[in-house]
Amino acid sequence: MEKKGGLMGWLDKRLAVDALWKVMMSEYYLPKNINFLWSFGVLTMLVFVILVISGIFVLMYYKPDSHMAFDSVNKTIMMDVAYGWVFRHVHAVGASIMFLVLFIHMGRGIYYGSYKAPREVVWVTGFILFVLMSATAFTGYLLPWGQMSYWAAQTITTLFSKIPFIGPDLVIWIRGNYIVEDATLTRFFALHVTLLPALILVFTAIHLYAVRVVGSNNEDGIPMTKEEKKEKGIPFWPVFMSKEYFVMSVFLLFFFFLVFFNYKFAMDPINFQPADYLQTPPHIYPEWYFLAFYEVLRGFFFSETLGLIGFVLSMFLPLFLPWLDTSPYPYISGKHRPLFKIMWWIFVVDFIALTILGKLPPTGLFAWLGLITSLVYFAFFIALPIISKIEKKKVASGGGQ
Amino acid sequence: MKELKILAVLIVIVGVTYWGIEPLAHSIMHKHIEEAIHKYHLPDYEFSDLGSTPPLDGDPAKGKEAFQMFCASCHGLKADGIPAPMDPKTAAMSFGVVPPDLSNITSYTDKKFLFHFIKDPAKASEFKKIAMPAMGLQDEQIADIIAYLDSKAKKVHGEELFKEACGRCHGAKYQKIYAETPPDALKKYLGKVPPDLSIIMKAKGEHYLVAFINKPQALLPGTSMPRVGLNKEATEDLMKYLDEISDPHKEQRQKVGIIVLAYMLVMIGLTYAWKKKIWKNIH
Amino acid sequence: MAEEKVSRRDFLLYAMGGWAAVGLGGVLYAMYKTWEPLPEVKAAGIVRFDLSKVQPGQLKVVQWRGKPVFVLRRTPDMDKCDNRSIANEYTVVVGICTHLGCIPNWEPDKKIFKCPCHGGEFNACGVNIFGPPPRPLEIPPFKLEGTTIVLGETGPEYEKMMKG
Ligand code: HEM
Ligand code: FES
Repeated sequence: MEKKGGLMGWLDKRLAVDALWKVMMSEYYLPKNINFLWSFGVLTMLVFVILVISGIFVLMYYKPDSHMAFDSVNKTIMMDVAYGWVFRHVHAVGASIMFLVLFIHMGRGIYYGSYKAPREVVWVTGFILFVLMSATAFTGYLLPWGQMSYWAAQTITTLFSKIPFIGPDLVIWIRGNYIVEDATLTRFFALHVTLLPALILVFTAIHLYAVRVVGSNNEDGIPMTKEEKKEKGIPFWPVFMSKEYFVMSVFLLFFFFLVFFNYKFAMDPINFQPADYLQTPPHIYPEWYFLAFYEVLRGFFFSETLGLIGFVLSMFLPLFLPWLDTSPYPYISGKHRPLFKIMWWIFVVDFIALTILGKLPPTGLFAWLGLITSLVYFAFFIALPIISKIEKKKVASGGGQ
Repeated sequence: MKELKILAVLIVIVGVTYWGIEPLAHSIMHKHIEEAIHKYHLPDYEFSDLGSTPPLDGDPAKGKEAFQMFCASCHGLKADGIPAPMDPKTAAMSFGVVPPDLSNITSYTDKKFLFHFIKDPAKASEFKKIAMPAMGLQDEQIADIIAYLDSKAKKVHGEELFKEACGRCHGAKYQKIYAETPPDALKKYLGKVPPDLSIIMKAKGEHYLVAFINKPQALLPGTSMPRVGLNKEATEDLMKYLDEISDPHKEQRQKVGIIVLAYMLVMIGLTYAWKKKIWKNIH
Repeated sequence: MAEEKVSRRDFLLYAMGGWAAVGLGGVLYAMYKTWEPLPEVKAAGIVRFDLSKVQPGQLKVVQWRGKPVFVLRRTPDMDKCDNRSIANEYTVVVGICTHLGCIPNWEPDKKIFKCPCHGGEFNACGVNIFGPPPRPLEIPPFKLEGTTIVLGETGPEYEKMMKG
């Protein structure tokens, strides 16, 4: 390295920026056989940044008070503040798209076996991020205090009342009232703008650190040492990032198209009616990203308890993937595990079916389809240990990959 | 090309999901609305369920006499110097709702509807508790009254139309328009305070609103919104107004949107070129 | 490794950076605009007041942009105000002391404005006559429409006053 003067040289002496740059960027190597799905981690960070920035600007005019919230959003921010509507659209569409990006990020992780050793911590911190993001989205959805906001919060908090023994008292505690009311709004507001984003930041840092330590997986799931990657891989900067910028640009084109021209999916029409404690709208449903889990809840239409257990399991089972899948195959990617691959596709199709069914009225045929798709959802998690066993046998008999 | 294949799969997955949770789900959820619209051919500006109407070629002079005899005890007609007999508050207390001034009524209400309404208000409005009683007038008398009203009516638009046609029960507080009848009187009369209409266009959309205003009972059985018989022109004028007030930045949004998308397209070009350059020698 | 080194003069990289800066500029502009006073605040920045409602010798306080504006109809026994007189007999000044911003009180018997904070005094024209205030009380931008004064808009009378 040639001696550098000027500001960079000065900083380098004190902060070792050159070394940092090397470790983090120019001499951090990624495998070459990764596709653009590996860009989705950075995309989630991009969306998170967009959410924080747009959030700060809507926060400047938002009023967390059940009498003022609706008008502060729909009049002040949407009509009076110059460009206030841009920030609100960006924030609402951003929240929705965050989950699209997250689902793709997670689906990628499952397909290529990225949750398996040695990436368990990456997976678990990722899962915590998913839970935190869901909580952030749920608390944020109450803030405009529209009909959908209100009844979503009312029904989801009611779920807590089903917990044996403590349930009924717990709901009242969560709401700070017998129904969702001002106290609920202000505490959701506090969680949404301070604690939850702070936790997301912390866990993002751990998540990224863990990825750096164990290194990125690749399409074939071939374990690679740092030396092998240096030999055959690509450096993070500029090679990986040059592609990343391109993917980001394409993503942002799509994102802004939604923001300006197709935002209704993220800003439900029903939520343009102010909350009314005494009248539930004829159709209520969660935001699209919770629909699949919601459908599992409704899927066991003959038993409330089964539905609840299924609902909780459907959300938390993915956390245990690294321990459900104990396959000994050295190539961890689903690409080289035919049985796993089949189950993955069934799971994805089922998840889409659950999502769609979650928005349809749960009657007649839809009720039965709901039950079947809910059961299929769990089939994936039950199949993993079985597939692992089969693969173990194959390896033991000298076969397998 | 492998990446393009992955992208295609992704697009199919996202596309199918989107289709399922938006167009498909909404078409199923709103089936009864579409059915009602279809069944009654809404909007029906002929109000064909009310039956035939005699020719409405009455005599305005006779109509004025009839008006003063039968209508002026509740309604004013400022256009002809007839003031409202009571102030709004007292009127609301005694009738439940402020009776309209009838100066411009024929310019926004369909005349055939008006004929049937005067004949039997509860039936025409499909609202049993309507404050106006059937007056037992002869067909000719009604025709005369309508001719008289028509001779005084002038066209009203936008905000003025909204105030005259909807403003006795509904407000639009973001425009600083408040219902003429006090809320508690309305609650007593209708069972609930009618919704504020500032952003109703965003909540309901034009397709629904047009049909609903045309025949409320068809879309929302049991509603306490009476059918008011707006004619086609007034309905369209009103829709335009409601759209403007609910979405005042529509034009700006489209303009800024185009600029941002164009900006992103250029960015895609630049980043693609740079990526190509960096990856030239990597295989 | 055969990949191309990024040279510091990589044109495409500069173009990308420049274009990103343009986008950032746009975003900053929108952010800047969101902090401007809301339409309602701006509308309240223009206040109409009928001067003829004030009796000779009487002081009325009008609120304009959150500040008190003193409207005093002078009587012949008070100071003549030449270039600070509006419609010959009115004093219209922002009632905020030019020293440190307290609100002076009108003392009818002495016919002065006296500031409670550090004892500054202004005569009936709003001119500082005693104490720490460095300047006369400010005259708000105004326009005359008959006997009505419009605060927040400038008319020829105001412009003339500012020049003289
Ligand atoms: C706010 C939320 C999240 C952020 C900001 C984030 C960020 C990232 C980033 C930047 C990477 C490295 C680039 C890449 O491989 O895509 C990554 C990798 C990874 N993330 Fe996340 N992530 C988030 C949520 C999740 C969730 C919810 C999961 C799963 C439950 C998850 C699982 C993983 C896994 C397994 C990897 C390693 C992938 C591989 O190397 O093949 N992440 N994450
Ligand atoms: S502030 Fe008035 S004299 Fe100091």
